[in-house]
Amino acid sequence: MQQILIIAKQTFKEAVRNKILFVFIILGLITICCSVFMPVVGDGREKIRIVESMCFRSITFFGTLAAILLSASSIPTDIENRVLCTITTKPVQRTNIVFGKIIGFIYIIGVLLIIMGGAGYALIKFTASKQSAQGNSKLLAREKFDPYTSQVTGESVRKIGNVSWVEGGGKGTSVWKFKGLHSKDRKDGLEIEIDFLVESKKRSTRKIPINIKAVNPYTAKVLTESIEVSRNKPGLLKLGSEFLEGGEELTIVVSPENPGDFIGISSNSIRVFFGNKSFEYNFLKGLTIISSQFLLMVIIAVLGSTFLSLPVNILFCLFIFFCGNITDFMRDLSTVINVFETHEHGHGISTVLKKTNVFVVFLDYVIRKPLFLLSYILPDLKNFSVGKYFVDGINIPYKTVFMSFGYAVLYAVFCLPISFVVFRRREIA
Amino acid sequence: MDNDTTIKTENLSKAYRSFWGRKKILALDKLNIDIKKGEIFGLLGPNGSGKTTTLKLLLGLIFPTEGRALVLGKTTNDVDVKNRIGFLPEESCFYRFLNADEILDFYGQLFKISRKERKARIDRLIEQVGLGLARKRPLRQYSKGMLRRIGIAQALINDPDLIILDEPTSGLDPIGTRETKDIILALKERRKTVLLCSHLLSDVQDICDRVAILDKGKLQISGTIDELLSSKDVVEVLIRNLSDEAISEVETFIKERHGEVISVKNSSDTLEGLFLKIYAANINNSKTDV
Ligand SMILES: Nc1ncnc2c1ncn2[C@@H]1O[C@H](COP(=O)(O)OP(=O)(O)O)[C@@H](O)[C@H]1O
Ligand SMILES: [Mg+2]
Repeated sequence: MQQILIIAKQTFKEAVRNKILFVFIILGLITICCSVFMPVVGDGREKIRIVESMCFRSITFFGTLAAILLSASSIPTDIENRVLCTITTKPVQRTNIVFGKIIGFIYIIGVLLIIMGGAGYALIKFTASKQSAQGNSKLLAREKFDPYTSQVTGESVRKIGNVSWVEGGGKGTSVWKFKGLHSKDRKDGLEIEIDFLVESKKRSTRKIPINIKAVNPYTAKVLTESIEVSRNKPGLLKLGSEFLEGGEELTIVVSPENPGDFIGISSNSIRVFFGNKSFEYNFLKGLTIISSQFLLMVIIAVLGSTFLSLPVNILFCLFIFFCGNITDFMRDLSTVINVFETHEHGHGISTVLKKTNVFVVFLDYVIRKPLFLLSYILPDLKNFSVGKYFVDGINIPYKTVFMSFGYAVLYAVFCLPISFVVFRRREIA
Repeated sequence: MDNDTTIKTENLSKAYRSFWGRKKILALDKLNIDIKKGEIFGLLGPNGSGKTTTLKLLLGLIFPTEGRALVLGKTTNDVDVKNRIGFLPEESCFYRFLNADEILDFYGQLFKISRKERKARIDRLIEQVGLGLARKRPLRQYSKGMLRRIGIAQALINDPDLIILDEPTSGLDPIGTRETKDIILALKERRKTVLLCSHLLSDVQDICDRVAILDKGKLQISGTIDELLSSKDVVEVLIRNLSDEAISEVETFIKERHGEVISVKNSSDTLEGLFLKIYAANINNSKTDV
């Protein structure tokens, strides 16, 4: 254990003294600060959103880049420089060398996170206080609730893909039910955000009027309101928290007002926000999720560095970073190829080729199957994107934090033993 | 393996493989050597003859393709035995941003030497290798010879029983060479075992008890310096202050007794001569192979 920490300290020292770490930190700070000067359309809230999103984006980007470059290069450079040649002749288990390196990278990333996170936080606070003159500048961390059931009824309901279309004029309604709406902070009341697809038989109209009915199932209190919604602008309905009296449940019924108007709804068309949590905690949770991603990249980079040469390893990590952000796309691509293949088999001329179409077989084995497999083996880095929570001012559920950390740990459990075994058998020439 | 043996190799062989796993170079071919406790053993050979390969195999940096090696009674993968070994690699490269004190402290910590003891040893070693004035400068500003000296210091930080030195004097000035040899001889006095390899024959001749000569990965010959250099049927008579007439008289005397005078000049067979002889013989052999 003691040796691990010595090697960790040494790794950290080296990164500090050759100044790579500071290059990344300074670049990150510059981009964070640039967000203040971005032109904004909209109110004060919009400005804060931009600063928040830029802050998290640049921490993620520069942090991941630093994590990859530092941890991918450390072991190969040490082997190249013959530094490991002496260290391995000291009474240190090779496993401890790898472990020490990883801990060292964690120190480094911790410093990066503290500096950039601190700067980002200060900047967000600063922006918020500057906007406070115009009101509407609160730093939001609203608790988000999803419906536990949603259903659409009526004669003219049609389902296309994930979207159900409901026609107005009494021909259809959609119902959402929420429960467990509890909050300590009740003064802001409930906010109901409505985001529908909109179609109308009257081509010219972009906006259509809809009726929203909020029902408290315990007291049978009903509130009906009519608002206009359009495709790009979500509607907002506010309720006082006293509306929930007697229970923690809420039912919402929505239908367009006029026949010939349609709303297209999917499972997350309606979101209920109730209560504002601490922004500071939310910020920390965001940083925790980001650092889980750093950890994941470090582990992959170290795995690569136990058997790949320096340039190859950096390419390998950047490739994984890139693919990790597009695993959905890869999966889709593989199904596209699949469709194409069955299509070929199903029709006319291609039936002749059914058994011997080398191209299709080639496609299947060389592209589709590996792609499909890869999309599951590679880490799905979308799990670690936190920007959207801050842009929408949503409190990050603890579950998400634990899941992303657990995801990184899961990769560690698989990758670290492989790194250890590979490095134990590595010849340090 | 008796208590007196520090290093023993049995058919130790190493073939470097290419990236695709194909055999490329047989760097070491069935090496059998025994090194006794307390002796200074020299491994000699031209460049690329497998000296460094042998040392790396002994230290567990690389793994043999055949055979095995026992160091201080243990196989090379044993971590604990490394507490008793000091190693100077062929090229001394260390963390470039540390200074001499820091790098020695780093290695000392890896040996779990206490802080106080570390401090004392570092002071003593830096004095010994003559880096007192440069100890606070980062290693990237060091010259090759200075790096060599810090390399020797780090090899001795744990007061090892076995010291393995790869070309200890390469890059050193004559004084540094002399000092290094003195350090090695001092180690011998303390009953430490030293294994060094070199292509500089004078080093080896000056300090080694026994030598082995490698060429193209094969052990050519081994033994004490005296054994290797003496020829059973040749007697060397060293004479001083003899006139030329007297010398020719001696020659005639020898001829009368059916002896053969090989040469009459101011020469003595050196290790260098032997070395060249072996090397030339090998070249002739390989020529006849073709
Ligand atoms: N890492 C390596 N990969 C492939 N061949 C190597 C490697 N290291 C050494 N060799 C080869 O092994 C042979 C012995 O090298 P080495 O032991 O370094 O010689 P030296 O006696 O000069 O120290 C040489 O032919 C060298 O080219
Ligand atoms: Mg060598």
